[in-house]
Amino acid sequence: MQTNMFTQIKNQFATNDIIIKRKDLYKVEVAKERLFDLIKFIGNHYDYKTLNAITCTDWIEDGHFAITYMLTTLDRTSTFMVQTLINREDAHINSLVDDFAQSEIMERDLAEMYGIDFIGNKNLIELSLENWVHTPPLRREFDTLEFVNKHLTFREGRDDNIDTKKEAKRLRAIKKAEKEALKKAKEEAKAKEENQDGK
Amino acid sequence: MTEGFLQEQRTLEGDLNSENSHQNSVDFLMNWFRKRSIFVLAYGTGCGAIEMPPTFTSRYDAERLGIRGAATPRQADVIIVSGYCSYKTLRRIIRTYEQMSNPKYVLALGSCTVNGGMYWDSYNTIKKLEDYMPVDMYVNGCMPRPESILEGFIQLQKDIGNGKASSWQKYEENYEFYRKNQEAVLGEKVAPSYEADWYLYDGGL
Repeated sequence: MQTNMFTQIKNQFATNDIIIKRKDLYKVEVAKERLFDLIKFIGNHYDYKTLNAITCTDWIEDGHFAITYMLTTLDRTSTFMVQTLINREDAHINSLVDDFAQSEIMERDLAEMYGIDFIGNKNLIELSLENWVHTPPLRREFDTLEFVNKHLTFREGRDDNIDTKKEAKRLRAIKKAEKEALKKAKEEAKAKEENQDGK
Repeated sequence: MTEGFLQEQRTLEGDLNSENSHQNSVDFLMNWFRKRSIFVLAYGTGCGAIEMPPTFTSRYDAERLGIRGAATPRQADVIIVSGYCSYKTLRRIIRTYEQMSNPKYVLALGSCTVNGGMYWDSYNTIKKLEDYMPVDMYVNGCMPRPESILEGFIQLQKDIGNGKASSWQKYEENYEFYRKNQEAVLGEKVAPSYEADWYLYDGGL
């Protein structure tokens, strides 16, 4: 059945080979236009009817987002990852909300964190951030540290604040010197003893 | 003869002999009452909140020191900011703090309120609580154990007793400073709107 399913998907949706990540986890990459057909197809014919999650990976080097839909069978024995790539500059994709109601909040999350527009989702309002006007925070061009340095003040260190790395190095050097001195003293004592024995 | 009731009595009366010359008798008495009856707002703002139930229940039993929970801000004396504090939470904390009646005290728990802790480079948490609201007592640690929380409370009681804990006055006096800092991270609309989105959204209630 598995091979049959793989062949059908490959032929009908012109995808690459299906990757078997685990014996109960498969992954396929599909063109954006055929995405929803594929999701419907594996739902209707192979029982992948539960949408677990919609995730997004930011491939800034290649200039796209990889959006993955995780679908599980009703008996919870197998999961299918259906992935599609979208342009990260003009990030938009159709919403899945008509087929899976739970996708609304998942899409809302991605819209907030990556700035992706899910066309057809009417409730793309802020979810966990409030009044956020900067770059969506999970996009990789968003420099967290730079943002923090610009917008927030740090507490100044204490007067006796020490650089722990330097301090550790210094302590190690002292310990090493002590050890060597001890070793040297022992060797000297031994040599002395031997000399006395010889005499 | 140092056990039981006598010991307890001695502890209670111990403060009567301590140096409180800068306070007049009414202030001294008022502070003495206040420190023996601290109502803590039942509100947890971060992961440190998990240490509060054991502090207030039988294992550590904070009530033996006169510290107990309060249901609403208007009945509470102390608000505990327990752990990391995101902008969204900060908005609620400020709202809650401003609703509390004077005198009111702030106890900040955990490294995150001191210097950001492990969220030092997070875009969404504040790094220094005292920029946005006055703090009477910091209890550091990640997370502080109930013993530390009690230690913080006892120190706070001492400060209340000798009139040092007066952050609420500081908040009133330096309101512009705090407001400016609050607006810098929260925008001009500091108070939350309290409009739940599922009310507004088509298909909500």
